[in-house]
Amino acid sequence: MALLRESYLLLWKDLLLELRQRDSLLTMFFFGTLLLFVFHFSFDPAPEKVAEMAPALLWLAFLFTGTLGLAQLFQPERENHCLDALLLSPVDRGALFLAKSCFNLVLMIVVEIVVIPLFWILFNLRSWNLLPQLFLVTLLGTIGFCVLGTIASAITLRARARELLLPLVLFPLMIPVILATIRCMENVLRTGEFGDAIPWLRLLLSFDVIFLTVGVLIFDRVIEN
Amino acid sequence: MAQVAIKKRKGILGALAFVAVVIGLFWSLVIAPPDAYQGDVQRIMYLHLPSILTAYLSYFLVFIGSGMYLWKREKRDDLLAHSAAEIGVLFTALTIIEGSIWGRPTWGVWWTWDARLTLTAILLLIYVGYLMLRSLIEDENRAASAAAVLGIIGFLDIPLIHMSVYWWRTLHQPPSILRPDKAPWENVHPAMLTALAISFVGFLLLYFYLLSMRYRLGEMREEIRARRLDRGA
Amino acid sequence: MSAWGFVSLAYGIVWGSILVYLILLKRRYASTAADLDALRSTEATSSDAKK
Repeated sequence: MALLRESYLLLWKDLLLELRQRDSLLTMFFFGTLLLFVFHFSFDPAPEKVAEMAPALLWLAFLFTGTLGLAQLFQPERENHCLDALLLSPVDRGALFLAKSCFNLVLMIVVEIVVIPLFWILFNLRSWNLLPQLFLVTLLGTIGFCVLGTIASAITLRARARELLLPLVLFPLMIPVILATIRCMENVLRTGEFGDAIPWLRLLLSFDVIFLTVGVLIFDRVIEN
Repeated sequence: MAQVAIKKRKGILGALAFVAVVIGLFWSLVIAPPDAYQGDVQRIMYLHLPSILTAYLSYFLVFIGSGMYLWKREKRDDLLAHSAAEIGVLFTALTIIEGSIWGRPTWGVWWTWDARLTLTAILLLIYVGYLMLRSLIEDENRAASAAAVLGIIGFLDIPLIHMSVYWWRTLHQPPSILRPDKAPWENVHPAMLTALAISFVGFLLLYFYLLSMRYRLGEMREEIRARRLDRGA
Repeated sequence: MSAWGFVSLAYGIVWGSILVYLILLKRRYASTAADLDALRSTEATSSDAKK
């Protein structure tokens, strides 16, 4: 319980900072929207093909915007030696991990809630009734992305060229999530229900649980003075 | 004295590896009969299977070394993980090249998004990332902890990647009939199995020879660093 | 390319690369060992000089 309370406080701190400055959220949001335009120009998909391509395009957009957020994730701590101060305080490192993951999750969810309907409008899709299922898949995938992304962001924190290194380390590890979410959403868009995609959902869920546990357990070894 | 003994042991290991590799080559290229379906091309299997298994062994050692390092903080565990990762990347890259050369005559293409091939390629990407991460962090101890975390996560991710890639292929197209690594075992010639076993032993001995040399190299570098630090102080 | 062509290509590349890696590793090993010996001997002489 103490763990959850500490994470909540840390998360609140990050959210307050973000509300005052809105650096990450605004850049992520505009980048996501920009990507939708770029995709539309570059693929110029025929109307009947859009539904097939939608999951892949959406997930590409989420991956890139999410990486943008992750690169900034520990920025407040890097400035003015705040990380050292935070590490000196008797806060559980697991709580720090949870807070940072949740923070990026909140940012990405906010972006996704706007970008998915925008995609439906821009690409003239009609299947509005399927959005709740798609959101559920996206949520599970985004949790996996944020959990693993926070670990990746923390281990590349002190590296040279860390913004470049982060996706190199993260994307190969994310392949189960990328495959599972895209196949799942494809199935939902094609058949209107989860049906055959249930194993994919289970895979996503186990990915989330495994790396959430690993993250909480070993995060104190990642972030050290 | 101890150093002389270590050197001698390493020499014996190297000689054994050399002998096993030569016998394995002879067995797989001369004694083993050509495959009934694929002909002589199937001889690539005697390289392919041992090299991928050695690569997996390597990644398992990276995992063990990483876990031990995070737990005990001893430099030698980190050295083990680093050495194993480097050699593992070499063997994974070679496996992909062999698979590609094997794929051309059997599938008609150099590359296909077969589940195993894809998985191997992803493994290569993960562990190349591991080596890059190490080289891009200046501070030795920080590089070691960061790499250890990646070594653990990467290994835990392998089953998930395997499952997802496998489902992806089987849900979308029927699995290919001619799988290079799925020979018809029921009517396999005993000489083929012997060739495979000897090649595997050869690869293993060679692997441990390379690993011990790479490990000792790391140890010596560590000692040089420590001595220079001492002198500076 | 014939079957044996593919086989020799694969065996050539694999054993060639392993050999190259082995040679590079031996070279790195030899130069590091030389560095270490040099460091050890200068340290021995400087500690002698102190005496």
